[in-house]
Amino acid sequence: MATKQVDTKNSYTPTKKKGFYKFSDSGISSYVMLAPFVLLFIVWAVYPVLSSLRLSFMRYNAICDETLSPCGSVGFGNYTYLILQDSRFHKALLNTSLYVFGAVILGLLASLSLSLALQADTRANRVLRVIFFLPSVTSGIAVVLVWGWVFRGDDIGLLNSLLSSFGIAPVEWLATPSLAIPILIFMSIWGGAGFGMVLFLAGLNAIPAMYYEAAVIDGANRRDRFRYITLPLLKPVMVYVVITGTIGAFQIFEGVYLLFPTSVGSIGGLKDMALMIVPYLYDMGFNRFRLGYASAVAWILFAIIFTISLINIRVTKSLEDLR
Amino acid sequence: MNAKRNEKRLERKNDELMERSGNFENPFETKGKFSKYSRVPIYLLTVVMIAPYYWMITSSFKSVKELQKVPPTLIPEKWIPGNYWDPNYDPNMYQQDIMQGLFQRFTKVEFGFGRFFLNSFFITTTITILTLLIGSLAAYVVAKHRFRAKRAIYLVIIGSMMIPWQVGLIPGFLLVDDLGWLNTYWAYIIPALPKAFIVFFLVQYLSSIPDELIEAARIDGAREWTIYFRIVLPLLKPAMIAMMIFTAIGEWNNFLWPLIITQSQDMANLPVALALLKNSGAGNIGTQGVIMAAALLVSLPTIILYFLTQRHFIRGIALSGIK
Repeated sequence: MATKQVDTKNSYTPTKKKGFYKFSDSGISSYVMLAPFVLLFIVWAVYPVLSSLRLSFMRYNAICDETLSPCGSVGFGNYTYLILQDSRFHKALLNTSLYVFGAVILGLLASLSLSLALQADTRANRVLRVIFFLPSVTSGIAVVLVWGWVFRGDDIGLLNSLLSSFGIAPVEWLATPSLAIPILIFMSIWGGAGFGMVLFLAGLNAIPAMYYEAAVIDGANRRDRFRYITLPLLKPVMVYVVITGTIGAFQIFEGVYLLFPTSVGSIGGLKDMALMIVPYLYDMGFNRFRLGYASAVAWILFAIIFTISLINIRVTKSLEDLR
Repeated sequence: MNAKRNEKRLERKNDELMERSGNFENPFETKGKFSKYSRVPIYLLTVVMIAPYYWMITSSFKSVKELQKVPPTLIPEKWIPGNYWDPNYDPNMYQQDIMQGLFQRFTKVEFGFGRFFLNSFFITTTITILTLLIGSLAAYVVAKHRFRAKRAIYLVIIGSMMIPWQVGLIPGFLLVDDLGWLNTYWAYIIPALPKAFIVFFLVQYLSSIPDELIEAARIDGAREWTIYFRIVLPLLKPAMIAMMIFTAIGEWNNFLWPLIITQSQDMANLPVALALLKNSGAGNIGTQGVIMAAALLVSLPTIILYFLTQRHFIRGIALSGIK
């Protein structure tokens, strides 16, 4: 990491202090300055994580009652049930995997193409970049509400009225199971491509122009220059975009919550066609108050994200070694 | 007059040149007689990007009658303010074509829809200021002080960034409940204060600043707090501005946590209020105009902030992304 190894010999050392103060060369102020953050961090970041690990091994519902609804340890019970038997959770896992796969791959292609198309520093491109970035700063809920109108199933839905002008019958966009994931992927790309584009633009600008000049002199054509200069040098950005994109995509919630409710007040849409991990966690935790079970879902989410990030880093590394 | 025209012509010429030379390594650019049309796809995509915003704006000024039209009108036939505030609205009387404007809804809440603005504004500014203050203090200590356990503390802070925040969601909720903070500003603000990413980002930034600057001040007898306020904060300014914008936009658009901790309408922030509005008028085309008006008002502040701080924003992303 970027913390510097402090060179004790050459740097200034204040006079020797006794007792408590000897732990820090800046006296007690080090601790006073650090304390607000660290205390809040322990209470609101470290404790919840540890506590949720404990909860995930427990049956813990909102009301603990000895006879009606006892709370207590169930060992790995929550996990084994989730992994082996809970078909709703399996559906959520499958949906999320499809969604993440589509959103990350297509999002990567979209943001890379955008950055290449808008790379030249012209006035038109500057305006276009701003437009493509706008969704990244817009409230997700506000955007989802507009998409909700676009994909309405009746003939007032915008997409349907567009289709009807071509003589096509209205489609129940949000009630057709095979369309749920593609619609969510589309929304994710619309909302996220601009952010990736900005990252890629920063990466592109960091490539020295002389590489290309040298390549041109050596007779490399456009495709070769892209293949042998741009792509390899953009790889760190690509890894970053894929990892952060994957982590973000796994946490999808708002679109599912607003566009795919069910009649019984839970989440997921018709036949759970759009049920995902975080909406399922919310449903278990805050609709059904099965807090222990929901914590186990959260830890499975962590395990998946962690594993995928590790694999990503490993794969890129081994690819590098192959070269 | 002539000089101005000349200047414009020059700039256009420059844009043309940049477009050609900047796209140097772009393999997607077609050459030859089709190059004129090579940018058509990007303009089509731009239309897709703008369309939701355009729809938010225009339909928020349409009458209920016009909203029901199939196919919908692209430009409002008559621009009316009724979706925001209808002067003819009378709560005791139902009349056709008279709307219950956005600011005439939520009658049980003090200040109506304005209350959610106050909530969001208060929560966002408080969190942004406090989180940056405690985060920068911690970052300064971690980056520039020497004391025991510093590395261990920093490692835990960075490590926490790998855990999706939903893992701590349920214990966080239980903790807030135990403290009696449900449905209060405390529940919004306090848990949001310790942000590991801010410390990480500022430590990275500070480590590029030479220690000598701070040590010189120390030799001159400056106290730690003086050093922090007079030297470190001014040096951190660019990084702090970037973090400020990110935090403010993130908190303004935050949805899942506020959804969980609010129990009565008057404590909702804007995204939660949007969801309430949507659920109250689900499916009724007459409320679509009001919903669009609300979505527009929720989106505008962050978009304006983005326009005002664009340069810092893009630099901040580049700084945090590519390291």
